Amino acid sequence: MLEVKDLAKHFGGVKAVDGLDLHVRQGEILGLIGPNGSGKSTTVNLVCGVYPATAGTVWLEGQEITPLPMHRRLTAGIARTFQNIRLFGQLTVWQNLWMAQNAPDHVREQGFFARWFGGQARARASAMDYLDFAGLAEKADELASALSFGEQRRLEMARALAAKPRVLLLDEPAAGMSAAEIETLDERIRRLRKGGLTILLIEHHMELVMGIADRIVVLNFGRRIAEGTPAEVQADRAVREAYLGTS
Amino acid sequence: MMIDFLQSLVDGVLVGTTYSLIGIGFTLIFGVMHKINLSYASASVGGAYCGLLLVGAAGGKSALLVFLMAAAAAGVIGYVVYLTCFRFIPASHPLGTLMSTVGMLLLIDEIVVHATFGVPVAYPPLYEGPSIELGELYIRPDYLMVFAVGIAAMTVLTLLLYRSRLGLATRAVSQQPVAAQLCGIALYRVNAATFVVTGVLGGIAGAMIGASVGMLSPLLVLPLTVKGLIVTVIGGLGSIPGAIVAGLMVGGFENVLQYYRGVTERDLYVMLLLFVFLVFRPGGLFAAKSERN
Amino acid sequence: MDFYLALLQVIGIHALIGLSAYVVILTGQVSLAQAGFFAIGAYVAGMLTVLAGWHLIPALLAAGLVAGAVAFLVGFPALRVKGLMLVVATTAFGEAVRLFFFNFDYQVAKGGVRVGPLGGEGFKQIRFFPENGYTTLDVLVFIWVVVGVVMALLWWMDRSRAGAVLRAVGEDELAAQAMGIDLTAVKVAAMTAGGVIAGFGGAIYAHYTTHIEHFNFGIVLATFAIAYPILGGLSTAFGTVVAVLFIQGLLIEGLRFLGDWRNLLFGALIVLAMNLRPHGLLDAATTLRLRRLFGRGGAGRDA
Repeated sequence: MLEVKDLAKHFGGVKAVDGLDLHVRQGEILGLIGPNGSGKSTTVNLVCGVYPATAGTVWLEGQEITPLPMHRRLTAGIARTFQNIRLFGQLTVWQNLWMAQNAPDHVREQGFFARWFGGQARARASAMDYLDFAGLAEKADELASALSFGEQRRLEMARALAAKPRVLLLDEPAAGMSAAEIETLDERIRRLRKGGLTILLIEHHMELVMGIADRIVVLNFGRRIAEGTPAEVQADRAVREAYLGTS
Repeated sequence: MMIDFLQSLVDGVLVGTTYSLIGIGFTLIFGVMHKINLSYASASVGGAYCGLLLVGAAGGKSALLVFLMAAAAAGVIGYVVYLTCFRFIPASHPLGTLMSTVGMLLLIDEIVVHATFGVPVAYPPLYEGPSIELGELYIRPDYLMVFAVGIAAMTVLTLLLYRSRLGLATRAVSQQPVAAQLCGIALYRVNAATFVVTGVLGGIAGAMIGASVGMLSPLLVLPLTVKGLIVTVIGGLGSIPGAIVAGLMVGGFENVLQYYRGVTERDLYVMLLLFVFLVFRPGGLFAAKSERN
Repeated sequence: MDFYLALLQVIGIHALIGLSAYVVILTGQVSLAQAGFFAIGAYVAGMLTVLAGWHLIPALLAAGLVAGAVAFLVGFPALRVKGLMLVVATTAFGEAVRLFFFNFDYQVAKGGVRVGPLGGEGFKQIRFFPENGYTTLDVLVFIWVVVGVVMALLWWMDRSRAGAVLRAVGEDELAAQAMGIDLTAVKVAAMTAGGVIAGFGGAIYAHYTTHIEHFNFGIVLATFAIAYPILGGLSTAFGTVVAVLFIQGLLIEGLRFLGDWRNLLFGALIVLAMNLRPHGLLDAATTLRLRRLFGRGGAGRDA
């Protein structure tokens, strides 16, 4: 589904990502973990096109998307959330989802004029489905900046889903959440997988990622040091050394 | 022909120190707070006026005294600008502070117009004497004095920034505001101090402009604001050496073009110079290295 | 009476330049180039009616088109710079336009007199309104019809996805791009729209005063242009018009009894306003509350 081949990103002399290969298969949850500074967020940013890769390619369903600018990668089928929440705070909750309605489906359904200058009713109705899923339907007309931290995280996820992606990139969705919130997050991600969505999950929270990921890739110093099922990865020596720092 | 070119260039570069000082002011405030203070040039000219009025009111005539009072008054104005335009407006809303400084620009301008009845006032030159001759080149002593004072002010500023505790705190705040606060640096105090220091610098610049032109007029404010901003961008945002070099460069450039193309077209070429920089070297002369994120 | 008509004319013209800055500033671009587009509109329309003998309406549309085309071209390099850099670059652009007209001569003889722009002397005798027998009231109506059309279009835009997209870009460019919004298209479109509106404003201004000079289009006008939307708040185009009323009507005219002191108060009041309402008069939260108050809370539900 989503493939990354020999990807590299160097910031000056720092090799944030260095020759990384990844393959996220159709319908699975691939967990991407690693110690701080191992290149997880850089990988997400490269896949989404936030900055150009120093070397390597990114493929989506057999199509190379490396040359595409950021906004075209969303229309190609990759949506993301941000580690440090980036909502449109001065827009209302449902309008945040409105912004993401850029998929080819949306364009085809609505046509140019109606999509840009038409009424809000239809767009709002389709946004409500995702707000229901995120448990935010009642807050649809609040300003996004007025939501609590946990609600903002949920809104970010709903916004990414509203883009009708085929691959969803979740960048540390559990960061700063309470145990109860993480539990509902866990359950939501499972429901997404059941719906057939392919997910790349970057997460620090081991319990969450070990519990729901089908496979896990471990990064350290911008390279892959292990890959396998959660159980295999947990048993891996190199992984323990990377995390505990005993080498 | 050649000598005329050189003469305009030298005169322009010497007076260009005033642009450098204004550019440094913009760049310093931007470096520390990542905000634009559009009232800066008007505060500088306002300070220069205050110097003249205060010394005049005390019956004094000394040009040096006028200079010192201008610097002190502009420092006070700088603090007032900080309090009224920055202190209580949330940092997350850059448009708010942009607009408040515009209001301040208009306010200071109007106060000056009021206090002087809209008439330009004569400003004492720092030094009078015969021109220095270098071959066929004449170097006006008052321009040279302006240049010397400008260099002295920049030297003191550099020492202040790199040798003093305040300078250390300023640089810490400009690089890592949160970490600096955790280290016990009072953000507001450092920001206020930055405004006072840049204010003093601006007062010196304002007095130097008065001294080199021979008079002071509120009409100077807008062109000076534009030139100062251009110098800041050409020099590279946040770069003090950049502002210095760009100020001298713009000063020389505009004076040479004034000689060849006349005063009405001169500024058009300065704008073109800026566009050339924006296209070919958008980071300015001394671009800060682009950082991660 | 004439005094109030004249005041309303000024307010209408300033509303146009304020709205032109409003569209651009929604995308987070603080553009001081609006006075430049305004000047282009003024000179183009003036030359078309005076030199080419056009009717004002086609001249107005042409002025909007030319100013919009220039704004479109300015939009691309403007993408490369942000914040202070953009402020400086657009200031320089506006100044360059002004200085261009300062040095621009194009005069032809018409009925024994030479007419047309003449550098520092300005462009005199733009007499479409008096020649066609427009009264002050007629001119006022003409101005406000144009303002009304522009306002209606912007009101529509504000309620549609286009308006929300401009705001999303203004708030967080990276997130907007990640949500599939084409930054180049949006920012350049906003700049172009702003140019068109400023061009209309300039065209009207030239015919309203009948005499334009380069210094009419300086930094002060550019600053006023951005001051209106910032003071009025960015959540609705009405904020900009309210700010124009506040500044031109209340501060400049209403405080006339204060004489010279009025100008002093003017700057001070702007500083005060920004301290009290840093997001402008009508910010997003206030607009939302007002909508609720008038029973339009869930605009989409009943639409």
